[in-house]
Amino acid sequence: MKRFVLEIALWMPVLLSGQLIVDTPLSARLTGYDINAVLDPEEHIVSGEMTAWWVNNSEMPVGDVMMHMYLNAFSSNKSSFNAQGRWSPAGDDGWGWIKIRSINDSRGNDLSRSMSFLAPDDGNIHDKTVIQLILPEPVLPGDTLHLRISFDSKLPSPIVRTGYEDDFHFVAQWFPKFGVYETAGMRQREADGWNCHQFHPNSEFYSNHSVYNVAVTLPKEFVTGSGGMMIEEIDLGDSLKKVVWRAEDIVDFAWTAWPGYKVLTQKWRGVDITLLTTDRGLDKADNQFAAVVYALEYLDDRVGPYPWPHLTFVDPPVSGAGAGGMEYTTLFTSSGGGVVPSFLKMAEMVTIHEFGHAYFMGILASNEFEEPWLDEGVNSYWEQRIVDHYYGGGYGLIRLPFIKMSDADQGRLGYISSPSRAISTNDLPSWLYPHGTYGMMSYNKAAAWLHTLEGLVGTETMDNVFREYYRLWAFRHPSARDFIAVVNDVVTKEHGNMFGENLNWFFDQVLYGNEICDYRISGVTTHKIRSYAGVINGDSIAYTRSDRTSDTLYISRVSIERLGGVTLPVEVLIGFESGEEMLELWDGRGSFKDFEYTGASKVMWAKLDPGDKIDIDVDRINNSWSSVHKFAAARRMANKFVFLMQMLISLFTI
Amino acid sequence: MTLLRTLRKGGVAAATSYKLILLMWVITLVMIMFVSVPLKSLLVNIFGNSMTVERFADGFDLGLAGDMGKPFLNLISAASTGGLLLMTAGFFLYTFFAGGFFASYSRAWGTLKTNAFIRESARHFLPFLKIALLMILIFAGWTFIVVGLPAIGTMTLLRGSTVGPYLIWIFFAIWLLGMPVWLFVSDASRRWVAATGSGQALRAVGAGFRALAERFWLSYSIVLVIMILNIIFIFLSMWFTAWSVPSNGWMIFLFFLATQALFITRLFMKAWRYASVCQKAAIPERGSNTK
Repeated sequence: MKRFVLEIALWMPVLLSGQLIVDTPLSARLTGYDINAVLDPEEHIVSGEMTAWWVNNSEMPVGDVMMHMYLNAFSSNKSSFNAQGRWSPAGDDGWGWIKIRSINDSRGNDLSRSMSFLAPDDGNIHDKTVIQLILPEPVLPGDTLHLRISFDSKLPSPIVRTGYEDDFHFVAQWFPKFGVYETAGMRQREADGWNCHQFHPNSEFYSNHSVYNVAVTLPKEFVTGSGGMMIEEIDLGDSLKKVVWRAEDIVDFAWTAWPGYKVLTQKWRGVDITLLTTDRGLDKADNQFAAVVYALEYLDDRVGPYPWPHLTFVDPPVSGAGAGGMEYTTLFTSSGGGVVPSFLKMAEMVTIHEFGHAYFMGILASNEFEEPWLDEGVNSYWEQRIVDHYYGGGYGLIRLPFIKMSDADQGRLGYISSPSRAISTNDLPSWLYPHGTYGMMSYNKAAAWLHTLEGLVGTETMDNVFREYYRLWAFRHPSARDFIAVVNDVVTKEHGNMFGENLNWFFDQVLYGNEICDYRISGVTTHKIRSYAGVINGDSIAYTRSDRTSDTLYISRVSIERLGGVTLPVEVLIGFESGEEMLELWDGRGSFKDFEYTGASKVMWAKLDPGDKIDIDVDRINNSWSSVHKFAAARRMANKFVFLMQMLISLFTI
Repeated sequence: MTLLRTLRKGGVAAATSYKLILLMWVITLVMIMFVSVPLKSLLVNIFGNSMTVERFADGFDLGLAGDMGKPFLNLISAASTGGLLLMTAGFFLYTFFAGGFFASYSRAWGTLKTNAFIRESARHFLPFLKIALLMILIFAGWTFIVVGLPAIGTMTLLRGSTVGPYLIWIFFAIWLLGMPVWLFVSDASRRWVAATGSGQALRAVGAGFRALAERFWLSYSIVLVIMILNIIFIFLSMWFTAWSVPSNGWMIFLFFLATQALFITRLFMKAWRYASVCQKAAIPERGSNTK
């Protein structure tokens, strides 16, 4: 009874606040956090009192708990984050850490003695970013564990995603947070257990969708923002205020405080969008809002609804640039809005990308540590579609008369130009990609083969794949296999066996394989056909000339080769002298293929993959052939070079 | 002599020396073509018979850089290295020709014949080179003091402040307004060398400063007016060139003619400045400042 009363008391804030933001819970809400914190802006320490709860949704008692202590990544130069990255503190005050002052369960048991650091990813004894608590009593199936934790979090400087610079604070990964307790079968797991990874330079997200009630006390002059909805702001006197936020069904809670923020708001279909920006960023605010609205509109229509009525994004000052380009679902940070020239849509691209994570990792909460492509790759794919759809008529990143670049090509460029593009498969955990290939593999290659998949099955089917993926996996934890199952299901429904029994052959090559894709037109030959000419004619030996008066016929041969290991069906468009065009399809499996044509018109040109559907083809220059050289572009560029040099010489000589 | 009269007389002298301007244009063009023609060939070779080149029809598609692979890096490397070499060669070439121009405007009022022009250019090359190097040092010092130091100060002391960028613009404007002073000094120094035949660069620069001090505002205004016109002209020329994307043979040829006409105009404007400064500067008696 005592335990029941205590649990009710602990649940009271949640029960009382009920569904403050969304009408019905979006997720299973297996974890939640009530945090009362104080920011010391001089020492850059956040001191918190927290009640955290976790529901054991498995069918077995659980005797331990694993939690993230991610600020400890900044506590020494031997942490795994530092061993893999290159962060060093700005002086002795720059180190960051998180310290638990006390930790008790709902019965008052002191758990601090049963607390130990683990390094499940790399066994690094110096890494203190994951703790394990051995519970005095196991948590029974269906029961809820409540922990009362007092902690101090010292923010690091310089900022790497989280930290401070002067009076700018971006507070992320700042409180002890539960790992995910995965049950057997979830993400193809064989047995129940905690999934709680260390903090790595390239990954930090895999958590349950949770409810957060957060109150932060800080000096009045600070302007704040967070991933939650502001419930109230209380004047505490003595130049202090308390800001109270609530967030529902998000995987992480971050907040920021800086006296220099300018706050702007807009509304889109019932979503309150807040932008925290700088003086310099005010000029670009409209562009930034437009980018967010584009992304909301595009993903809402093609993937699924954005379910929260609030969204906050931050364009940090130059001094806080290290916090830029990050995602915390209902809070994200852009970058460069105040400094990047407006013809370069880089700031918009970052804004769209980071917002996109609200879907890919936020709503569809895949494991960024173990399957980073499912987070960054899928999100990059959608970012590129959005940017190229709304900006520059297909050349979303730069569109000037003399230079242009699409966002999709920018991503593809990162993959095809990497000398390490075939170094590994695309399914590795984030920290195991060799030779600095994490970004190229997780973002660029994955986005390129998702575009290729779209090219194969069609844009409409691809959209339907993601609609179904959202329908089945929103507010759950999908894996790569779960995504592939959705692809197979939707593609089979819409195209039958057009691509075989399923598309596993595709994923085996692009995701679980490391071969490259390169098809080329090796040549086009044409020769005339004449009537018989020679010296042996039947039984007699006589010199016979061909009949030159007959109509000329041509044999044209278009030769195609496969240079890479990846095999995909490819289209070949062939143009004849008469103006006629012919589209051929090759299964792409052999090492070569010849298309031969006999007729009065000879082949003038041939284009392999004419619609540029195969984004992972590493060389598109060899995908086409024309009998006519086209030098116009080279001449124009040479002329411009001449003039540029003339002007520079005349300008820099007195 | 009023400002307008000086500018008009300078313009007439520059126009009279049109053959020298055309000579300078031809030599510059040939020199640059030593780099641009191989670059064009490299570009043509990269694409061969590929139709991908169609994607350049309305501007350079950066997305193809990866497909071009290593040849793209070679292209960039050749363009940048070639560009640097051209700039260096151009520096010597224009220093050389300046000798002929100043001799022409100091003594022959633009009517120098080509062989005399080249002879005078060769004669004054070394002192002009010394003056050019001295002026580069002065320009660098002026830039460091007026733009570099304030920029460093703004970035460190006014970090994150909204005032910083405005301050940088103010200092840049001051830097720009100082430029006519240095340009006039460099021109008047060279005019002094051409007029006196002296090879002493330091004395020449001193004479340049003295010439500036005599009717300072007139000296300053002559160069300021021509400099402003030059800035506008260069801006418009570069804007035209950048935004023009001719796509067929004839249009590209016309584009080439247009850019060359613009460059010849630019050379004329340079010659105009030389001639105007020569018009204004008092001619010291021949040999009065030589040993």
